[in-house]
Amino acid sequence: MNALPDRYQAADDLVLRGPSDGRALAQRLSKRYAERITGSFVVPGREGSFAPLPADLPPALAHALRSRGIDALYSHQAEAWVATQRGEQVAIVTPTASGKSLCYTLPVLSAAMKQGAKALYLFPTKALAQDQVADLLELNKAGELGVKAFTFDGDTPGDARQAIRLHGDIVVSNPDMLHQAILPHHTKWAQFFENLRYVVIDEVHTYRGVFGSHVANVIRRLKRVCAFYGVTPQFILCSATIGNPKEHAEALIEHPVTAFTQSGAPSGDKHVLLWNPPVVNPDLGLRASARSQTNRIARLAIKAGMKTLVFAQSRTMVEVLTKYLKDVFDHDPRKPPRIRAYRGGYLPTERRAAEREMRAGSIDGIVSTSALELGVDIGSLDVVVLNGYPGSMAATWQRFGRAGRRQQPALGVLVASSDPLDQYLVRHPEFFEGAPPEHARIAADQPLILLDHIRCAAFELPFVGDEVFGPGAATPWLEVLGEEGVLHREGNRWEWIADSYPANAVSLRSVADGNFVVVDRTGGKQTIIAEVDFTAVPVTLYEGAIHMIQSVPYQVERLDWDGRKAFVTRTHVDYYTDAIDYTKLKVLDCFGSSSAGRGEAHHGEVHVVRRVAGYKKIRYYTHENIGYGPVNLPDQELHTTAVWWQLAQRELEQAFDGRQQALDGFLGAAYALHIVATVAVMAESRDLQKSVGSSDGAWFVASDIAGRGQLRGMDGQPAALAPDAPFTPTVYLYDAFPGGVGLSAPLFERREDLVRMAMTLVDRCDCMAGCPACAGPILAADEAAADTPKALALRVLGLLVAL
Amino acid sequence: MPGEEIASGLFLTEAVVDWLSPPPLIDTTFARWDEAVGTARLLHFDTETTGLAGGTGTRAFMMGAAHWEQNGRFRIRQLTITTMAAETAMLQTFAGWLHDDTILVSYNGKSYDAPLLATRYRLARLPNPLTGLRHLDLLHPVRRHWKGVWENCRLATAERQLLGVVRDDDLPGSEAPAAWLTFLRGGPATNLRRVAHHNVQDLRSLAGVLLRVSRLGARPPAAE
Repeated sequence: MNALPDRYQAADDLVLRGPSDGRALAQRLSKRYAERITGSFVVPGREGSFAPLPADLPPALAHALRSRGIDALYSHQAEAWVATQRGEQVAIVTPTASGKSLCYTLPVLSAAMKQGAKALYLFPTKALAQDQVADLLELNKAGELGVKAFTFDGDTPGDARQAIRLHGDIVVSNPDMLHQAILPHHTKWAQFFENLRYVVIDEVHTYRGVFGSHVANVIRRLKRVCAFYGVTPQFILCSATIGNPKEHAEALIEHPVTAFTQSGAPSGDKHVLLWNPPVVNPDLGLRASARSQTNRIARLAIKAGMKTLVFAQSRTMVEVLTKYLKDVFDHDPRKPPRIRAYRGGYLPTERRAAEREMRAGSIDGIVSTSALELGVDIGSLDVVVLNGYPGSMAATWQRFGRAGRRQQPALGVLVASSDPLDQYLVRHPEFFEGAPPEHARIAADQPLILLDHIRCAAFELPFVGDEVFGPGAATPWLEVLGEEGVLHREGNRWEWIADSYPANAVSLRSVADGNFVVVDRTGGKQTIIAEVDFTAVPVTLYEGAIHMIQSVPYQVERLDWDGRKAFVTRTHVDYYTDAIDYTKLKVLDCFGSSSAGRGEAHHGEVHVVRRVAGYKKIRYYTHENIGYGPVNLPDQELHTTAVWWQLAQRELEQAFDGRQQALDGFLGAAYALHIVATVAVMAESRDLQKSVGSSDGAWFVASDIAGRGQLRGMDGQPAALAPDAPFTPTVYLYDAFPGGVGLSAPLFERREDLVRMAMTLVDRCDCMAGCPACAGPILAADEAAADTPKALALRVLGLLVAL
Repeated sequence: MPGEEIASGLFLTEAVVDWLSPPPLIDTTFARWDEAVGTARLLHFDTETTGLAGGTGTRAFMMGAAHWEQNGRFRIRQLTITTMAAETAMLQTFAGWLHDDTILVSYNGKSYDAPLLATRYRLARLPNPLTGLRHLDLLHPVRRHWKGVWENCRLATAERQLLGVVRDDDLPGSEAPAAWLTFLRGGPATNLRRVAHHNVQDLRSLAGVLLRVSRLGARPPAAE
């Protein structure tokens, strides 16, 4: 690696004189970069609130705690103990690093020691499960408690499984394993279930949306199997801060819970800065990249001797930022690295090594995706920088929660990207400061998901009579499965009859299953160097893509779609790649319609096709586009629900000079509607998508390089419409999950609000002609046009607003 | 349905045939057991199931068992259910055929039939009568001796190689689930009878292979 001189040295020194902590750095940044900081506030720390170790704790357990330096509990831990001893279902909702795990460890260990009771722990990831078992083993060793805890996941060897089933007091697993390996083989776990006393579900805030809806159904199946063994286990749930923790916990386990939301753990002041990159082209509202700003803040913090964590939104961005920081801090290969990347897709050993080095304090900067948002133990940090808004207030606070050791002031910086949501937030700091964290939503009764799990449940135990599963009697679903030939009805019993294992066909996390492995063929060897989720493959592993691992670039040479493999070789290039994808829709069924101003609003079922058409090559540092490449991958298709607005041709002809103008207006309107709708239903922006097209799917509109609406035909190629062809452009907002998870119905109910809010957003925006924060990015040439994209978007919205 | 309906939906067929002449004691050196076992203690068994998927959704619809009686004759009994509800009666009847000193003989039964039955007994809330019984699984010695010598080590191959058995009009095991389902849904019993025939042949071959491998002793593999 070529050793670069630190060209930032002089400038950085100016900012960094004197010692630093979170407050000092916040003050210096605020002074030096005042015009970039749009909001600044302090979340005050608090004193700890403590309670003595409960008197009814088994003496050996109390001894083990004391020998590990725990002489008192935080108040929330003590409260949780009392509630569990009363037999209540409990939910604990406190920030990162507040000692949540002791809330369940104490009742579980106590019951295991006193009554030989068993416990099942569910974590969303294998890494968290392994951390938990390591902690349990240490405590167990400290007090010689004799309690056996094991992880049970896809990596557990076959010969160890039998021993775990028979001898495990605490089995630590994940919802996917419960769904695919434990419940369909519950008879092998009979002894475990017969003695099951506690089910612990940590990080329940991650069980929302589609994944959460699946998990709620897995819990229904778990309870059903428990009932077969005559047990009713007590649930203990833990969550990071969300808006509706009690309600969410109750929705997941379908039982009232006692929720504890006041943390007794002490914390230092947290300084928060909202940072908007400087405007580089005021006419276009173009700003410097978030990436450059994040890099600068992280660099300053690390130079100031503060342990710094950077969160990036994508795996690619993790690698790019890691490279930039390594260029400054790790240019001497003889020294141990100071900067590390951390994300899904690395092999477990590599992640463990990164965690160890972080805890040991030998790493000064770590760049991560949301993988570190959860409770992976990496020790404490001083500064957290978010490269872009994570998509929800809850995730923002959770990431900021990573900063703060004991009573010391910590710093969190949100660097806004050009994404409209980001821009909306940093320009409305009052919204940011006052916004409650989002509600976690699940739709456990979503028909496709429910049918999947009734199928799995019928495999596990026959349904008898009018047995209830979820919202009501399972009978109508059983009849469907009977017609399909997988169930056989005899008297009042429905028995599984097919030669298949239904849980294998149901993935909790995504529609299509099967991770891809990345195989490095450099030098003739074949080494697996990474794994990539199915959903990420079309945008990251296409042939020609530069795939980076710890900022080392590999080029994808061949993608074996059916074999779920990507073959790469080590490469030396000065660019990275970015996929170009587009979407088209077709309406299948309309559930409801109403007038919307001079147009109409509808909601119903749609068919969506998503295709990756090609990719761009982008040079490092200058970020200029240096070329394109084609991508040839299967289309991703789904049936889902959507809400859409359209205007009759006659209205358009009166309001617009030509079809191009109308299309530009629809694109801008879609852009603004998507922003306000995402906030309105508190969706994650990837769960709600937008599109502009014809209602019959004959054509759709994509933005061309200039940001103007370009009509494209069924094949994705630019097309022209015959002058006499019908022309009914339509704005769609659709739920990005097969069958939908209930986003479109509330949007349809609020259709009038949404159009009005979108109008306000565009109308009140400071920009002249349209910008990424309102109607979408535009080109300089449009600035002078009589009908700016902003004005066109307002005209479309104006026609749709109720009179 | 052939056989006698001994409980609602449960049919028993029985046959007593002349089949080989076992010695009174079977040498078990091939299985690395310490001592020879009395032939009278052996129970050969084989199940026909609704599939190979495993887990709680797979069941046995036919259970065959065979043993040599005191007079040296080979007694073959088969249980077949024609309703789902009859499964419990089938499991109970089979349990009655097992004694504390029974030695099970099977082909891949340790990995397949026995765990499957353990699941079925558990689901029926019955004690598992196979628990604690000794079990000679012939697949393992056959593999040790003939893996790489024969094209595979399936029972059909072992019986052809060792006993010269060539099956006539045999229904492949993979078609057994469909045969039973067809009958269950009111279709003809033709193929179900062929399953029963196949099961009988499996039991006879099992006994034949046992006698053959018991004579191998601890001889090194592939010395044939």
